[in-house]
Amino acid sequence: MIERLYRLLAMSLAPLALVACMNTAPTIAEEAAAVPLGIDLGGSGPVTASPEPRALAAAAVMDETHGAQQQHTGEMPMAHGPENDAHGSATVNSVDSAQHKVNLSHAPIREIGWPSMTMDFPVASSVDLNAIKPGVRVNFTIKQQPGGIYEIKAITPTGGGR
Amino acid sequence: MTARRNAFCCGPAFTRRRFIHGAAAIGAISFASWPSRSAVAAPSRASVLSGTEFQLEIGAAPINITGRQTTATAVNGSVPAPILRWREGDTVTLAVTNRLSEPSSIHWHGIRTPSPMDGVPGLSFYGIAPGETFVYRFPVPQSGTYWYHSHSAFQEQTGVYGAIVIAPKDGYAQAFDRDYVVMLSDWSNEDPDTIAGNLKFKSDYYNFNQRTLGTFLADAQRKGLAETVADRLEWGKMRMSPTDILDVSGATYTYLLNGQPPGRNWTALFRPGERVRLRFINGSSMSIFDVRIDGLPMTVVQADGNDVVPVTVDEFRISVAETYDVIVQPMADMAYTIFAQAEDRTGYARGTLAPRAGMTAAIPPMDPRPLRTMADMGMGGMEHGSMSGMGGSAMPGMDHGTIPGMNHGAMQGMPMNHGSMTGMEASPEAKKLEGSVGVDNVAMTPTERLNRAGEGFPAGRRVLAYTDLRATRPGGDPRPPSRDITLHLTGNMERFIWGFDGKKFSEAEPIVLQHGERVRFVLINDSMMEHPIHLHGLWSELENGHGAYRPYKHTINVKPGEKLSYLVTADAPGRWAYHCHLLYHMEMGMFREVRVP
Amino acid sequence: MSAFRIVLLAAALVTIVTAAAEAQVPPAKEQPAPGMELGGAVQPVMDRSIFAHVIFNELEGRWNGSDTEFRWEGQGWLGTDYDKLWIKSEGTLSKGALDDGQKQFLYSRAITTYFDLQGGLRSDIDSRPTRNWAAFGIQGLAPYFFDLEATGFVSGQGHLAAKLEASYDLLLTQRLILQPQVEVNVYSKSDPARLVGAGFSDIDTGLRLRYEFSRKFAPYIGVVYEGKFGQTANFARRAGEGTSDVRFAFGVRVWF
Repeated sequence: MIERLYRLLAMSLAPLALVACMNTAPTIAEEAAAVPLGIDLGGSGPVTASPEPRALAAAAVMDETHGAQQQHTGEMPMAHGPENDAHGSATVNSVDSAQHKVNLSHAPIREIGWPSMTMDFPVASSVDLNAIKPGVRVNFTIKQQPGGIYEIKAITPTGGGR
Repeated sequence: MTARRNAFCCGPAFTRRRFIHGAAAIGAISFASWPSRSAVAAPSRASVLSGTEFQLEIGAAPINITGRQTTATAVNGSVPAPILRWREGDTVTLAVTNRLSEPSSIHWHGIRTPSPMDGVPGLSFYGIAPGETFVYRFPVPQSGTYWYHSHSAFQEQTGVYGAIVIAPKDGYAQAFDRDYVVMLSDWSNEDPDTIAGNLKFKSDYYNFNQRTLGTFLADAQRKGLAETVADRLEWGKMRMSPTDILDVSGATYTYLLNGQPPGRNWTALFRPGERVRLRFINGSSMSIFDVRIDGLPMTVVQADGNDVVPVTVDEFRISVAETYDVIVQPMADMAYTIFAQAEDRTGYARGTLAPRAGMTAAIPPMDPRPLRTMADMGMGGMEHGSMSGMGGSAMPGMDHGTIPGMNHGAMQGMPMNHGSMTGMEASPEAKKLEGSVGVDNVAMTPTERLNRAGEGFPAGRRVLAYTDLRATRPGGDPRPPSRDITLHLTGNMERFIWGFDGKKFSEAEPIVLQHGERVRFVLINDSMMEHPIHLHGLWSELENGHGAYRPYKHTINVKPGEKLSYLVTADAPGRWAYHCHLLYHMEMGMFREVRVP
Repeated sequence: MSAFRIVLLAAALVTIVTAAAEAQVPPAKEQPAPGMELGGAVQPVMDRSIFAHVIFNELEGRWNGSDTEFRWEGQGWLGTDYDKLWIKSEGTLSKGALDDGQKQFLYSRAITTYFDLQGGLRSDIDSRPTRNWAAFGIQGLAPYFFDLEATGFVSGQGHLAAKLEASYDLLLTQRLILQPQVEVNVYSKSDPARLVGAGFSDIDTGLRLRYEFSRKFAPYIGVVYEGKFGQTANFARRAGEGTSDVRFAFGVRVWF
């Protein structure tokens, strides 16, 4: 008898739990919202090459040449100026000497709008990977190649490795 | 779903599996009462719905915008309707249930669905009867920012509008860290049928910025009595007013940003240095907005859902039904005001971009009110002998508060003498329209002025114009058009009748295109108001000087007295609606069917 | 419970749940194919809607220092953009008697951008003998924003009459509006029973200052002049009435 009641109760509660899980919850400090807060739909993720933004002259003259010029710099130019490199810090997870690539868990890279991620990077052939071991904390510089992949052109331990 | 996940994104991935589990759960609970309508569990009340299966319910809901409780037509209980998140390439199924006591419909604005899924009663389907559920099912062939709204009666005005965000299958072209929908709209506590009736009786019912004795005296002081009298006589003879900017104004509207009036301070959070994507959608019924964020230049990256070469501006004018995606990068730890003022400066919508909730930034004063010019009347580019060289479109018309607008293009200081103007005849087709019941003006010399956003922008601001929109990829159809279809945008303000070529929808025949044909639409705006013209189902490739890189748009704003053209490939069969997206203009007749058999 | 029963119960439960899940997303409705004629039953826009309005341009008391009369002048119409049924009514209540009680019942057709052609009946119904006329005229907005009504009448006996009304709205501020207005009547033959003389008969003109609290409700004050001329003036004097009357008016202009 009690078993039957219990089964009935469980069967009726389980769907409710599923329904509760089903709702995507709005985000970011909802509890502080006396003010209605916008729902962040998330970041873009890694991006492909794109043309540099054109700034308009106040007279709104159309600039014919600009569009084609920046197509192949292969970079997302940002507010920091003419450099095309991005810099980050990370912890090395693994090193593949044969393929000359590393797997890093890195912090957000603001220059190119990346959140923190764990991913593989090809390393430029001129870079020495002897000092790069799993567990080592590093600073690195990456540069985007034609085709969109970011390649490490410099990587150095910070000295605080495990 | 891919692994790309921003640390601050929304909750767990919403997959099809979870939906079915949830639906089964709801089904299990409610099965005992199915099909009795009263006990069916309501669809999700979430503000963002993702996945491929959706349940939308259109029904009455209480709403309080101005402090007075009133009733809106809402989707799943909310105004605006929930944000729908789709993925390019998926097939989506949307079951729309109508809980109103009148027929309803949903149109997916800018989405190239098959014609029966387009949601226009009378052209796509019969509409959704009260109590009925209609299941839309179609593949999603595109990505970008779009929106959806009712296409029945005035339901779009009373709350049936919401955003669609479609993730691109190849990823984004520009990086960003945050992503917010900014849906601009207009809300009135008045019944829209009352608004329509008011406009029919007195078309300037909502215009409390008309010319008065006060403005006459101020003008006479500035420009001299003779010129002021001549100016008043000129406009009076035409029975028109240069103060007609928007038919329905802040006199009855409260302007909303994501459903919030300005005082509620809708806020989008960011961390300084992050790149924030703002998807601006004009989901209003009758309001054109001028959008800017003081202190933050905006980089426009998409228009009407399609990529454009990024262009950085201070301000843009977004007409009804258009969308612009911009990326901003606030570097400082402070708040910024997102400021969207109505074109007639009778009100504004406002939000805040801030690092923390509760912060506010200064709200700028509204810009001076624009005035219509002679170029807007379709007399642009006119020259009178010694006045030659002063193109009519070169001088903006602006109303500096109590000092009324300065000029009418080239006419300054020179009263119009219609008799002496030779060679200024309207085209034969235009002349036929003059004097008819549906037409109060014919543009004699309509001008092409896509390189100007319009009137009312103070000098020194970079304002986006249509000529700044350049597609990132060349168009899909390189053929030149085989024929031109010329349409006049006409109206009679006094009777509040609107149409194409002087005819309302019920008086006109469909425009028939051959399947696969490539045509050019030429629009000449004979009226003195902007009309955002929207073609369902087919892309409008605006000819703005960029050749093969002309932008693909679904809604094109034609300025008063303007002439522009766009190319259309009739690649989708169906009965497509083609209309001005100003809701009360559309309902008064500014509508056509474009049929591709 | 036996194993068999458990399996049966489970199967039933699964069937119920999946059926309910599918029932939540009903089967697709019969969809019209592209190009299929949906018939005229459903229209995408209702651009032949019928609108109705009523306006009282004058709803006022008129005071000349000694007595007060009450006057109304109003119109109402119902119809589409092109075709309307139109009613006009005016009258003056003075010393307990109803005077100048003209009512018109017209069909109004939009013929040009700003003018309607109107035709129908006019009935003079007040304390004096009733008269009926056929009416024919135009109404609309003239250049420079003058509101104009010009109507001609023919009675059963072949008598002719004409009425001309004009007004202008001068905006002093956005809500304070000064309106000069004039109405003139002309008759071809005198009608002594109605104290109406041949020729230019009477004029009713006023200058009203209204404040639009809302567009639809605007109280006003003003000055009105009622004048009688020619034979009409003679009839009036013989009946002991004035021929020229200046009064202070106060009233409300309403429409809905």
